[in-house]
Amino acid sequence: MADDVRRWSDELARDPASLVFLPLGETLRRQGQLDLALKIAMRGLERHSHNPDAHDLLARIAVDRGELQRAFDEWDMVLRLTPEHIGALKGMAFVRFQQGNTPEAEQYLQRAAERNGGGDAEVAAALANMRAAGRGLRQAASGKREVPENGAQPASRNPLPASRVPVPASRVLFADILGEHEQTALLLDDQGLVLAGTYVDGDGNDVGDEVGAELSGVTDAARRATRHLDIGEWRAIVLETEVAVVTMAPSAGDGLLVVAASKATPLGLVRRVLDRCLERARQWLEAGR
Amino acid sequence: MSSPFASVLAALTRQRGVRASLVVDENDGIVVDSNLQIGQDGDRVAALAASLYRKARLSAGAAHLGTATFMQLEAERGRICAAGRNDLVLVVVADPAANIGMIRVEMIKAAGGLP
Repeated sequence: MADDVRRWSDELARDPASLVFLPLGETLRRQGQLDLALKIAMRGLERHSHNPDAHDLLARIAVDRGELQRAFDEWDMVLRLTPEHIGALKGMAFVRFQQGNTPEAEQYLQRAAERNGGGDAEVAAALANMRAAGRGLRQAASGKREVPENGAQPASRNPLPASRVPVPASRVLFADILGEHEQTALLLDDQGLVLAGTYVDGDGNDVGDEVGAELSGVTDAARRATRHLDIGEWRAIVLETEVAVVTMAPSAGDGLLVVAASKATPLGLVRRVLDRCLERARQWLEAGR
Repeated sequence: MSSPFASVLAALTRQRGVRASLVVDENDGIVVDSNLQIGQDGDRVAALAASLYRKARLSAGAAHLGTATFMQLEAERGRICAAGRNDLVLVVVADPAANIGMIRVEMIKAAGGLP
């Protein structure tokens, strides 16, 4: 990856009109170098102001920087240039939902579903969840509440799939590292409180708070065990279960980073993801979150 | 008189790099049986390892990840491995150079035979 960044940077220096600013900016964004990514994207846009991918890149950088309205405006520009751009519609839905404008978010998702002929499972799931959430909101507003016949409390559901959940930037801190695989990552403080990331269970629910509560004290317990045995500082804990592999490592300030993956994921790969998430967490904490 | 766990513990301790093997009650951290090298404080190791395993197992439950099968703590100069069943935890303390793959297989197999 470092070689790619160097190669693209060299090419851009040789030819400032090159389109390599697109993969370069995206890679820097994924690495969390948002200021540099923004600079690259802005320079690229100066020469390619009608390139929808350039506006899309700028929108994604803006989301990572927490600049939601700017992201929305850039995706709006993408749609003007490419009206069928599904990614822009999803992004605009994401922004509107995060801004609390659920009806408009639903409209964008509906447009994305129509453009794609209903073939995008993520959009379909997001629409279904958002409509369910909308019913809940309307019931709350009218003072009524739907209770199932068995009396069980309805589970809270995210109206958007994990990749489009309207959440603070801290909760998507590891999203690009985890990619689309069945992996999830969570950064906890010394009390087990969630600092960043999410811990999504098999049903798509974020159980980060529950996991954090159970893991509070793990760092202390691990340290006491390794000190007593005189085997040095602890570096990682790997827990295998029937369906998953969970890895944990100490982070700054007596915190804990947890990465979980499906059992089918090779352990070595999970460890690599853990290392990358640790580095990202370190940078994030050093930058003052 | 040997305990029902003696042969399991002896087999684990014969693995290269294994310093100690114990069967521990997960709830109270008390040693049920152990095979230790001279100088190891089994009670303390048992309590600490059981506590750690319990926390990890409960977190897996909170995340709906099913039953824990194996846990490994890696440190600069050693490892602690644990595998449990029915409130009993098999604990192994090993050197960094130990063949952890073989130990893991033996522990999961042995844990399956815990009462």
